[in-house]
Amino acid sequence: MLRRSPLLLGALVAYPIVIALLVGLVAGYASAKPRVAFVDDDNLPPVIAVGGHRFHIETVIDDVAKQVTLVRLDDAEAARELADGKVVATITVPPGFLGDLQTTAVSPNLILKTGSGGLAPRVTQQVQSLVYQLNLKLQAGYISANLAFVQLLLHGGHGRFLGKSFDVLGLDRTAKELAKMPQTERVKAVENFVRQAKEGLAQTGTALRATANPISLQQAKSHGRTWLLSAQVQSYGIAVTVTFLALLLAAGATAAERDEGTIGRLRRGLVSLGELVWSKVALAAVVGVVLGAAIAIVFGVVADVGGITGGEPWSRLPLLLAGVLLAAGAVGAAGALLGAVAREARTASLLAVLVVLPVVFIGLVPRGSVPLAYWISLFLPFAHAVRLFGAALYDTSPWHRVGIEALWLVGIGAVSWLLARLTARTLTA
Amino acid sequence: MTQPLLRAVRVARRYGDVVALAPTDVELHAGETVALVGPNGAGKSTLLAILAGAIEPSEGAVESHARVGWVPQKPAHYSRLSARENLELFAQLEGVPEPGRIAQELLERFALPQEARPSGELSVGNRQRLNVALALLGGPRVLLLDEPTAALDPGQRRRVWEAADALRVEGGAVCFATQNLEEIEHATRTIVLQDGRVASLTVEEVFG
Repeated sequence: MLRRSPLLLGALVAYPIVIALLVGLVAGYASAKPRVAFVDDDNLPPVIAVGGHRFHIETVIDDVAKQVTLVRLDDAEAARELADGKVVATITVPPGFLGDLQTTAVSPNLILKTGSGGLAPRVTQQVQSLVYQLNLKLQAGYISANLAFVQLLLHGGHGRFLGKSFDVLGLDRTAKELAKMPQTERVKAVENFVRQAKEGLAQTGTALRATANPISLQQAKSHGRTWLLSAQVQSYGIAVTVTFLALLLAAGATAAERDEGTIGRLRRGLVSLGELVWSKVALAAVVGVVLGAAIAIVFGVVADVGGITGGEPWSRLPLLLAGVLLAAGAVGAAGALLGAVAREARTASLLAVLVVLPVVFIGLVPRGSVPLAYWISLFLPFAHAVRLFGAALYDTSPWHRVGIEALWLVGIGAVSWLLARLTARTLTA
Repeated sequence: MTQPLLRAVRVARRYGDVVALAPTDVELHAGETVALVGPNGAGKSTLLAILAGAIEPSEGAVESHARVGWVPQKPAHYSRLSARENLELFAQLEGVPEPGRIAQELLERFALPQEARPSGELSVGNRQRLNVALALLGGPRVLLLDEPTAALDPGQRRRVWEAADALRVEGGAVCFATQNLEEIEHATRTIVLQDGRVASLTVEEVFG
């Protein structure tokens, strides 16, 4: 039979290879280095001197490159590559950064922009770690610089601050000068102050180091939001379940109309093909909403009962369910198309299972790792559903993201509905 | 001559290169029962499905001047719904007033099970009777039957022919496909089909 069906034979051979490749891509991403753009708007010199320490920019970049692949780009190029998913984030050194750093008058900012892909949280953590490491090095430099000023106050000499040179008498020499003066009550009071100041400043080094690291970190078990309950996991959980369910349900229900012979009865002016496809889309959407609500409620109850920090955003549940309705409807339209193509309920169910796996896996491939997979996933409902659910649940201002993803889902659903409507004509044959 | 209740003008159906039905003209007039006779693959079911509007002809057209009921060869109903639920659902889709009452009448008329058992679990005979009952929803004047008695016992066959005869006597028309030569006695006219075409042969010549 397979020899007579070269298409089926080809599909049977190609399918496991495609799935294996997608699984490999998704699994491999955990150890892959994401590509991050480095934008230097301050024209940093090769070597920076801060707080008496010299930082070699290339060395700092090499340190970061152990965790991510850092590529130097200009502003426009970085923005374009971030939008295209070629880089997962951009780190920008804004104009005036070095000046602010050297004067210590204000804390300079590094600007981090991340995409919306699955790598964004990981890159954010890595950049936070980099800034922490840089701060530690700068801290040591600043303490040394501050201690030099203390020594200047104690012993006197020549100093520079904010680009200006000055001479300091110092407490030692002040005491000597006071000793030469007539010992009036006022002079004695000043001598007393100088002595106390010297004793106090002698402790400055220890105090500064203690102040720099007032708290040491001890990792203890806490009730923070665990990975299992993270926004991403909840979004993926609902999206995977709804995609599986809606696709199988709509495909099976559409093909069953032919299996049961009812399509012939319905086509006799009782129900149009468009209405028939709509009914399958509505079935998938309604069942999807019920299931999505059940999953969200279970997540929420576990978060609340477990005292998870942040808990479940219950007020966002209606927005989430509206998104689930849309996503399940779009997937349902695709399922109706599969059902119309397969024409038999069992074949349709099998086809739906075969199709849903790569659809989900392509949606799981991180945006920055394989751009082609990202582009393909744009035209499939799964990735849009994940992003919509995530935004609906946890974005501070979800409307922009929700709106974009909803438009994608409407578009995908409309095209699928139209194709299903056209293909459903063959069900009556 | 009176206007036919149903007229098919040069209707044909092709699946790729395969001709299931060559261009065919058929008229059904009030008060007649037409038998479509022919061997397997002659195009009987295709012609009836086209007349019923269940499939679109590849060419030609069907003019209908009366409500048409269709009994497909394979029972066509939702197997997870009970007989009553199927009747009520299709009655609603047909726009029949009081679908519950009509469903109850048909359940009694065709001795169908009253309980809420899924119709997919009914016997072959019961499913075929449900198939016929569904065709009578909405009071059709034309009844198209595709081998309606194939799975029925003699008593059930009699009940089906009584329903068909009653419709004809009341001014309707019946067209049925059969390979059972004994059933031709119910017909007032016979059309012989062979290889998707109307053949100028007698029934005896076709079945040789």
